[in-house]
Amino acid sequence: MLEIRNFVAGYSQVAVLHEVSLTVEAGQFVSVVGPNGAGKSTLFKGISGTVAPMGGEIRFLGEDLLKVPPSRRAHLGIAHVPEGRQVFASLSVLENLEMGARTPEGRRTWSRNLEQIFAWLPVLAQRRDQPAGTLSGGEQQMVAIGRGLASAPKLLMLDEPSMGLAPAVADFVFDKLMEIRRDTGLTLLLVEQRVAEALQFADRGYVLETGRVVLEGPCERLRADDRVRQAYLGM
Amino acid sequence: MSETQVLLESVLQAIVAGLFIGAIYGLMCVGLAMIFGIMRVINFAQGDFMMLGMYAAYFAFVGFGAQLFGTAAGSFVAALAAAPAMFAFGWAMHRLLIRRVTGTQSAGMEAEGHYAQLILTLGIALVLQNGAMILFGAHMVSIRTPLSSAAWFVGPFGDGMALFLNKARIVAAAVSVAVILALWLMIRRTGLGKSLRAAADNPEASVYMGIDVDRAHRTAFGLGTAITALAGGLLAANYPFHPFVGLEYVIIMYAGVVLGGIGSVLGAFWGGMTIGLVQQLSALVLPTQLQNATIFVFFLLIVILRPQGFFGRNVERV
Ligand SMILES: Nc1ncnc2c1ncn2[C@@H]1O[C@H](COP(=O)(O)OP(=O)(O)OP(=O)(O)O)[C@@H](O)[C@H]1O
Ligand SMILES: [Mg+2]
Repeated sequence: MLEIRNFVAGYSQVAVLHEVSLTVEAGQFVSVVGPNGAGKSTLFKGISGTVAPMGGEIRFLGEDLLKVPPSRRAHLGIAHVPEGRQVFASLSVLENLEMGARTPEGRRTWSRNLEQIFAWLPVLAQRRDQPAGTLSGGEQQMVAIGRGLASAPKLLMLDEPSMGLAPAVADFVFDKLMEIRRDTGLTLLLVEQRVAEALQFADRGYVLETGRVVLEGPCERLRADDRVRQAYLGM
Repeated sequence: MSETQVLLESVLQAIVAGLFIGAIYGLMCVGLAMIFGIMRVINFAQGDFMMLGMYAAYFAFVGFGAQLFGTAAGSFVAALAAAPAMFAFGWAMHRLLIRRVTGTQSAGMEAEGHYAQLILTLGIALVLQNGAMILFGAHMVSIRTPLSSAAWFVGPFGDGMALFLNKARIVAAAVSVAVILALWLMIRRTGLGKSLRAAADNPEASVYMGIDVDRAHRTAFGLGTAITALAGGLLAANYPFHPFVGLEYVIIMYAGVVLGGIGSVLGAFWGGMTIGLVQQLSALVLPTQLQNATIFVFFLLIVILRPQGFFGRNVERV
């Protein structure tokens, strides 16, 4: 579904990602882990088009993604739930979800989809008319996830959905994501600091360090890898 | 009539005049609120966009408005007809120039591109002012309609008190209020309005929603230009104008937007309304030459006492 080959990207002509290659098959759940500053968010922005590419290739469903203007990529079925939530603070919760549903598929399935989102994340139904900026961090993360789902995506990209949340809330968000994946079989690409969880349920994992993929493979193999165990799992 | 009644009558008269002129100022401020308040673009040329709106309305009036709709209705039709042309003008300005110093382009610039905006729009203002002087001449122009000098009388009430309501201003105020309500509904309720708000709120996340942020900004800039220009066209039925008239009004606009709370469209309307009232009431005690000075002093007081404005809700812009 998503094929990234030798992708180079960065800020003001300084490369942060060096020849990164990564593949997500339809229906898979792929995790990307790595230390702070490794370039995980930059990789996501490269896919969504908010950082400029400096080399390599990205294909989504066979289409050359780097030729698609950034604002058209969501319409192809890519939903990006960005780091730090980035909800529309001044818009109501419902309006945030509506903004997600601007894609053709999102429009077509809007009412059914909304019901489903409210069923997964009932707090959004309770807060539907409240400005998203007034919600708690955990609730805002639900808004960001709900907004991504409202586009009826083919690929959902989540950048550290647990960031800045209390452990119990982070667990709850993670459980929700797993529930949504169980219910829909949605293809997921997840960036997470909580490496144990990220590698527990995913099909494949990538370890990114200073802009390079240093390790990749099925998650059970990564979990058993000594380097991963030492550096990320504290074992 | 006793002396207090004479005073009361002139105060009431000033309040009525202030409300009518305030509604037009409010419309003018709402135009700037779209650009400065919501899109965060410093636009020094806003007053000159308004000046262009006045000339556009004038030429629409003498060109076809007066013949087709009569001199009374024609002036308002002309002001309304100038608005779409000014939308196109603002849209093109953004496409050609403003875009280079705003939105995603300004991300790496000093002060988010505000310095560049200041200098660019100051340049645009100078070009427009001097261009207008070359094309239209330096003399005063006005849109003459019979309504400008016609009034409805209210009264007599009390002990022989009476108020007169200038017809041109009543119609202009009514048009202003209608346009603001329509704009407000558009921003609150329609998909276009919501995507404009989203693009202003969080440009990066808007891209992830599939919103063309550049186009949203351009649309907002065009709307802001058209609205201020419409206010200019409405004002032109009562006030003669010239190529440098923008300077007088740009102060009112920024004062109104700040007073209303930056980022709030309805707040900007109330801000403009307040300035209309202050201006008319101050004319009771001060010579007319000092009217603009009053606005300056008032503006300073606002900035000192309540920099967050009076009318805007904080959550509208976080
Ligand atoms: N807007 C920016 N301008 C310049 N450099 C940036 C920018 N954003 C990130 N960087 C740099 O790019 C590198 C990778 O950052 P990135 O945000 O992709 O890391 P990350 O893996 O997501 O880290 P974290 O786990 O902390 O979120 C870092 O060195 C960072 O300083
Ligand atoms: Mg990151």
